[in-house]
Amino acid sequence: MTEPTFDTIFDDLVDANAELQSFLATLDALLPEASMLLVSEAGALLEGTRPLTVALPVRDKLVHEARAVDGFVTGKADNGARCHAIHLAKLSAVLIISCAAAPEDDWEPGAAITSLLRNSLELALYRQEREMLVADHEQSIRQINILQQQHGKLIEDNYRQYRLNQDREKEYARKLESEIAKQTAELREANARLEEISRLKSDFLANMSHELRTPMNAIIGFSELLAETPLAEEQRDYARTITQSATSLLTLINDILDLAKIEAGKLELEHLPFELSEVIDNVVAMFKIPAREKGVVVSSKIDSRIPKRMMGDSNRLRQVLVNLAGNAMKFTEKGGVAIEVAYEREAAGRIVGRFSVHDSGIGIPADRVEAIFEKFTQADGSTTRKYGGTGLGLAICLQLVELMGGHLAVTSEEGKGSTFYFVIPLEEAPAEIISLQEHKDAAREKAPAGGRILLVEDNAVNQRLAGILITREGYEVEVASDGTEALEHLRHQAFDLVLMDVQMPNMDGMEATRKIREIEADPALRQSYVGLRSLKQPLAIVGLTAHARKEDETACYDAGMNGFLTKPIIKAKLVTILGEMMPRVSCLENHDPS
Amino acid sequence: MPSAKDIVRKFTELKTLPHVAIKVTQLVNDDRSTMQDFEEIIKLDPVLVTRLLRLVNSPYFGLSQKVESISKAVVFAGMKQLRNLVAVEALRGMFKGDNDDFSAQKLWLHSATVAILSGMIAKRIFGKDGEDVFLAGIIHDIGLIVENQVAGEQLREACKAFREGKGPLTECERNAIGADHAEVGYLLAKDWGLPQEVLSSIKSHHLSKQVKSVSSTGSILQLAEFMAGKMQYWPIAGPLEPLPPELTEHVKEKMADYKIIIRDLPGEMTKAKELYEADE
Repeated sequence: MTEPTFDTIFDDLVDANAELQSFLATLDALLPEASMLLVSEAGALLEGTRPLTVALPVRDKLVHEARAVDGFVTGKADNGARCHAIHLAKLSAVLIISCAAAPEDDWEPGAAITSLLRNSLELALYRQEREMLVADHEQSIRQINILQQQHGKLIEDNYRQYRLNQDREKEYARKLESEIAKQTAELREANARLEEISRLKSDFLANMSHELRTPMNAIIGFSELLAETPLAEEQRDYARTITQSATSLLTLINDILDLAKIEAGKLELEHLPFELSEVIDNVVAMFKIPAREKGVVVSSKIDSRIPKRMMGDSNRLRQVLVNLAGNAMKFTEKGGVAIEVAYEREAAGRIVGRFSVHDSGIGIPADRVEAIFEKFTQADGSTTRKYGGTGLGLAICLQLVELMGGHLAVTSEEGKGSTFYFVIPLEEAPAEIISLQEHKDAAREKAPAGGRILLVEDNAVNQRLAGILITREGYEVEVASDGTEALEHLRHQAFDLVLMDVQMPNMDGMEATRKIREIEADPALRQSYVGLRSLKQPLAIVGLTAHARKEDETACYDAGMNGFLTKPIIKAKLVTILGEMMPRVSCLENHDPS
Repeated sequence: MPSAKDIVRKFTELKTLPHVAIKVTQLVNDDRSTMQDFEEIIKLDPVLVTRLLRLVNSPYFGLSQKVESISKAVVFAGMKQLRNLVAVEALRGMFKGDNDDFSAQKLWLHSATVAILSGMIAKRIFGKDGEDVFLAGIIHDIGLIVENQVAGEQLREACKAFREGKGPLTECERNAIGADHAEVGYLLAKDWGLPQEVLSSIKSHHLSKQVKSVSSTGSILQLAEFMAGKMQYWPIAGPLEPLPPELTEHVKEKMADYKIIIRDLPGEMTKAKELYEADE
């Protein structure tokens, strides 16, 4: 296929002579003194603005001659003037020109006028080409403009993209945030739910504690009483077994409750002054009898640099040591158990002590050392069968020691014995607290036995048990079944002390105590209560509750009680607290007869 | 007789437009689309990725560094050029199959010529972005392909009638098939989601009497169609439709410009061939 051209494509609209016409017009303008004719290849005749007539034969001859040579050929126009013809190859046409102003000989080849004419011709021809070049140039400029626009658009697009990406990132961040917020809320809700469940569990345990201790109270109390009655040896043995079993059951219940409390984060250590040697002696004394029976020596040693009196929770410290010593005793058949409090170091102004319980028992296999601290676990399954125990003791000790700021650890060699030890900071008790304690001790010693006690207790079994215990200690006892009844008793009789059960129907112990304190504070009202009007100091009220929790104790004091006893009533504790709380002068002696 | 819609439906049951082509067109039309969105789509088609990278690394873009990543290439090519690249790719596969009366391959050459001429006219004479007219050019005769697929026999009849001078091609098509390729192509492109101006230029490329503005996509397409026809880039033998007088007048005014375009066309076609078909 031949290369298509404009002429072949737009053949309909191409005027064959348009180009010649345009050339003639240009030349015509360039040479104002010349008149001219243009003869196309096809023989068409085009005239300039200034007419030039050349007879047809002459014209044909000139065209013919001009086509044959390169340069001008000469002829004569109709008006007699000379005219010249030249072939223009680019246009495929012959130009015939006549110029009156030019001398004849100027048309000779090489003459100035010829050159001028040639240049003019060239110029006219270039003008036409220039038109194309201009169009070409303009097209280039338009294309450059488009590229510039596209470039601008690319930049714009990129900026837009940047903004879009930013928006998307923000959107993503926002979504992420709200997702996190949502999950946090869900977690919080779940947490609240768990806390609620945990609270319910604690409440349940507290109630269980009450439910378990009440019957235990009766079992331990009556078995103790039973043992004191005249019995045959066999019967006495049975009674002792009941007491022992009940006591170990109570220990177990206390252990479980302790552990539950620790796990619920509800166990708080006391911060009271106590004498360390008393605690250690106490522990050693506890194991004296079983040690003698087994032929094992129990010894203790306290470094002289350890403070004599310190602040802390003596009961919990005793609990840990009793537990460790109990274990040591249980697994030791010969040799000894040594309790030692050693000076470890001094840090931040405090003495750090190392408590250890060493035994010469069976020891613990290395691979079981970790497991023994776990709940309900002993060195191996057979241990339980052989030596008994719940496996709770060490778990509790571990937790208690941690609460005291230390860590319970063990070194052991199988067959040679074990050493359980913990290192805790010790705080020396300030001097004034010590003297107060001493004062209290002194007061207790002076207190005489005897006096009237009002026992407020709804449970008939407990009424009987407590009644017997109190009477045996040499006190008179009066019983009321609830708070209302207690107030009624106080209206008519004088008492030295009230033992007030907390949980009772109608009016509970808390409310009764508050009522009593109210009456004491109101001089007019006080006069109508025999039991209150003549007292020089507030009536001593000791709370009795199966709830052994710290907050229960606090609640008793808040209600206005002076003392606190947990059920089941331990005889020794009852005796101690009565000794402390009974006024030195009984109401029996200063009884107002009116 | 089936309507244009029936024909398009029948065609789309047989052949679906490539997913990539439709998706890219959607993204171009969406102001909120990002280069990443394009990248996600393009990278599904390895052939497209190759072409795109070749395009931006061609001397036409004159970049100093070689572009290796799709997203960068999308940035340099621009969305419309990318869309056209995808369209060329999608359409080329459809222009297959030859016979005596109708040659799909010749039609492809025709379409490519019209597209390139349209782009040149738009850019060089009217100084406007040539991407849309290029797309219009490449797709304007897709209706014939559809008809060839769905009603090949009838199309050949129409071509024969046209060759024998029994009226304009569109009229012969309507008589033989029930619809003409301008209408069918318009409907298909509409399904594709191409810009409105491209759609209307496809619909009107044989309606020589409807010239709204000389610089419209439709007018440029008609002009390019006429020129390509004169150059024998035309698959169906028969009389050429004359150019509308407004366009004739326009060419007369811009004669020098059109001479240059015709002069430069072979070079542009070689260039396009390199960009779009180099691996064949």
